[in-house]
Amino acid sequence: MPLYEFVPRRSNWHAWLPVLLGLLLFPLLVQSEYLLNIAVYAGIYVILTSSLNITNGYTGLFSFGHAAFYGIGAYTAAILATRSGIPFWLTLPLAGIVASAFGAAIALLTLRLGGIFLALVTIGFQEIAYLVILNWVSLTRGPMGIPGIPPATIWGVALSGNRGYYFLILALDTLVLFLISRIVTSRVGRAFVAIREDELAAQSAGIATFPTKVLSFVVATFFAGIAGGFFAHHARFVSADSFRLDETFAILTMLIVGGMGSLPGPVIGAVFLVVLPEASRFLAEYRGVVYGLILIGVILFRPEGIAGVPGIIRTRGALSRAEKPSAEEGQPA
Amino acid sequence: MSLLEIRSVSVSFGGLAALKQVSMAVDEGEVVGLIGPNGAGKTTLFNCLSGFQPFAEGHILFRGASIQTLAPHRVAALGLARTFQTSRIFKRMTVLDHLLVGHHLHQRTGLWAAIARPAWVAREEAEARERAHRTLALFGDRLSSRLHDFAESLSYANRRRLEIARALAAEPRLLLLDEPTAGMNPHETGGIVQLIKMIRDLGVTVLLIEHDMKVIMGASDRIVVLDHGEKITEGLPEDIRRNEGVIQAYMGRRQIRA
Repeated sequence: MPLYEFVPRRSNWHAWLPVLLGLLLFPLLVQSEYLLNIAVYAGIYVILTSSLNITNGYTGLFSFGHAAFYGIGAYTAAILATRSGIPFWLTLPLAGIVASAFGAAIALLTLRLGGIFLALVTIGFQEIAYLVILNWVSLTRGPMGIPGIPPATIWGVALSGNRGYYFLILALDTLVLFLISRIVTSRVGRAFVAIREDELAAQSAGIATFPTKVLSFVVATFFAGIAGGFFAHHARFVSADSFRLDETFAILTMLIVGGMGSLPGPVIGAVFLVVLPEASRFLAEYRGVVYGLILIGVILFRPEGIAGVPGIIRTRGALSRAEKPSAEEGQPA
Repeated sequence: MSLLEIRSVSVSFGGLAALKQVSMAVDEGEVVGLIGPNGAGKTTLFNCLSGFQPFAEGHILFRGASIQTLAPHRVAALGLARTFQTSRIFKRMTVLDHLLVGHHLHQRTGLWAAIARPAWVAREEAEARERAHRTLALFGDRLSSRLHDFAESLSYANRRRLEIARALAAEPRLLLLDEPTAGMNPHETGGIVQLIKMIRDLGVTVLLIEHDMKVIMGASDRIVVLDHGEKITEGLPEDIRRNEGVIQAYMGRRQIRA
């Protein structure tokens, strides 16, 4: 079975026991706070990349504003926790809800536009969100950021050190991936993919494409907000600079390298590209070169990414391969 | 009352009149052929029927309801399915998924049900799969042997069959087929006539655009002829074959020499 087809099922879950066991044992074997910190960040990017995959991978929408929703989630949690003393288990879902409310507003306003126009509008939103965070000093403290966010708590016990955060993000990732797999393997997920593949044909099959696209956007931005809420309580400090366009592109790169339109793709991409720069530290100043070469290599030799749906990214090679059987279409009908 | 009634529908693109006061009706259980030279307005009429082409003038009644202001997915919900002249398959979706997407209107799983998966979701999916197999059986083993393959990997003729299968999975009252044999070889074309008859026997009314005269004459109960956006005639296949106006529309005026 190709990797992109992988969907966890009841019948094959035990095959993943060793992986789960390894993930559970990792923090017990590894003592280094530094390594655990990298693992926690990889976990945050797994949520961000997997949620972007819902819009960009499954539904075929070009959203370029994911970091803005991530930031809205982070700021929501930061403000609620520092000002109103709302506990972690409430700020986390609220971060998702506020981010998805913004997502819904953007979606309702812009999803009538397609392709490149949606990309431009979401980039615009990304910049506006950054500027608002930077200038609305009374709410966000502007360029000073928000320090002193209380740590995450589990059953009243505040987490200290990365080991606790590791287990928390592992549980959160498992939950988010479970929810996403439920969605994309349902009638709703089929409608997403149908829209990506051919919107007119999807409409004539009875799919109400506009509300379905809005739903896809809302779900994706909800999870981005959740990732932001977790980030705020883990870093315990948020600042607008963490949520700029380069962050969006970092997430997008992970998605493309890992592979769009599949469940394992974004997970692999996120873990790979969080670990790679750290693992190649011994290369010192050549680190960036190696990073760049690996990205170029993936795009050239495996345009669909490590575990993406073949042909999902249309390079010239992929295009001619995909179009070949329809050469007859050019004949007079 | 007819299943479909088109009353003096006119469409123009800028100064070009694509349809001029076209009226016709399709009764339940019929196979009606729609023919005419290239540019006669056949596909434009299909687009009006399926909600893709707004029309300023005229009325279209489907099962007694006006579809003039309805979006394509609402027209589909009334029981109208269509195929497209140029292939519009979902390339990176499996054959089975095409059929399940086609069945979309008969399912009701939304976001929450997809997550919670109550028992009825599993029943709904099982039923959709069973329907899919029944629909695919119409095509012999051509599609059912490729159930989990991406549509991209199918031959050209099988892609066209898959589009018909996807439309049938919606269990429509009226099926619009836009040149189902375009690009098929003569052998494959012959199978289409059988297929259309099987579709009619399922109780689905068919409106068919086709250039292949063997298919049109073999499958249609009645034929409507369009030329330059106007209906020039309609009648039984044998009448249309002999109709002077139709021959002229296709061949040009007969030169009579003394």
